[in-house]
Amino acid sequence: MTHTLHRRGDRDSLSRDYIVFTMSAKGLNEEGSAERMKKFLGILLEHDPVNYGDMVTGNCHVKSREEILGNIQSTSIVHGVFTEERAVIEILAKLKAADLGMSVVVTGIHDETEKSCRQSGLAKHTVENSLGIFGQYRKLPADEVLQLTTMCGHGMVPANLVERMLVEIKRGKKTPREGALELTRPCHCGIYNPVRAEQLLGRLVPLVTLDA
Amino acid sequence: MRFERDRKNQTRIYYVIDEDECVECSVCLRSGCCPTEALHQPELVWPRTVRKNFSDPLKIHPETRIPGRGTEEMKTNEVTGRYRRGMYGMAFELGRPGVGARFRDVEKVAMALAALGIGFEENNPVTKLMADRKQGRINPEVLDEKVLSAIVEFMIPADKLPEVLSVLDRVSREIDTVFSGDIIARVGEDGSVPYAREIAARGRFLSINGKSNVGLGRPLATV
Repeated sequence: MTHTLHRRGDRDSLSRDYIVFTMSAKGLNEEGSAERMKKFLGILLEHDPVNYGDMVTGNCHVKSREEILGNIQSTSIVHGVFTEERAVIEILAKLKAADLGMSVVVTGIHDETEKSCRQSGLAKHTVENSLGIFGQYRKLPADEVLQLTTMCGHGMVPANLVERMLVEIKRGKKTPREGALELTRPCHCGIYNPVRAEQLLGRLVPLVTLDA
Repeated sequence: MRFERDRKNQTRIYYVIDEDECVECSVCLRSGCCPTEALHQPELVWPRTVRKNFSDPLKIHPETRIPGRGTEEMKTNEVTGRYRRGMYGMAFELGRPGVGARFRDVEKVAMALAALGIGFEENNPVTKLMADRKQGRINPEVLDEKVLSAIVEFMIPADKLPEVLSVLDRVSREIDTVFSGDIIARVGEDGSVPYAREIAARGRFLSINGKSNVGLGRPLATV
């Protein structure tokens, strides 16, 4: 599934949104992949991801580090989210040196990830882009809300929850950081970016008006 | 969800989950959002089981052995050799973002594409539900089932792209939902992205962000 594709936003916002992840090729390099994916996550954790997780177990805002590391399986998809290009460059260089034999995918702005690859001595092999949304646009929420919901590619962060967080922040019941973390939790695989969400919520809250 | 009044106690109002709209993604159960733990997922029986298979990312498809709704697609391409130069991988995710889709609409898109002679990805859960892959017909038992997203996935020779996009533009006006489009390619020997110029020349949207497989998987396939 293209769960990290279709993240919406402007260049400025997307330039602080990187995901690095791995999975095994079933029937080809699956054997022993759980151990190699643990090493992969170990390298990611050296660079303080703002979120991480495994599709099999859950994300680090719901599950402990030990649970996530201890439950990695050959069917896992292990992810880490970063806000700094420098971290991605260093991670890719370490993964190249570690030679784990696992496929690694980086999601981010293409010209920036191209630079990250070059600086870490790698070259892109295969790329994927979004062609956008087709069909009945009237069924969609506002694009500002979509920027928050599309950070979970499985659709586990609904527009209603975003709207509820906006109201709670506006009423002073939650800080933007708390609202962002509440949006992060349902995204099971750990690809939601809570730092970006906090910034996007902070932009939106002044625009919200509440009925008496 | 909708509100209903208790027939025996008219002062009592409660939420009811609209079973026809519910896609069985289980996110409400996992979130622990109900303070009285009143949420309950009934045992699912065919054809309703497809809702969970296509909506709950924790559910591992028995056919693909991948959690989620899709395939490995480009994520392991340096090992599988699935996407070769001169070909584009394409995926159209009915219901995404966040709207959901009935298989009736999935079938409309699949049939429109099948008319172009497209071969659907063998290892994709939607393809597995097709009763007639040549025509893109879905098993009639599931047509009214609603899921969070269902991916129609296939590969085309690069020169077929304009035709495919034209069909998708047409069929997108005939469905009662949205879909998100993806395009995949093995990068050129000079590092270029083969479809970028053509999409730009047609004035179509192409995201500035996306996924890049950096080629670290082994054993390497020849692509």
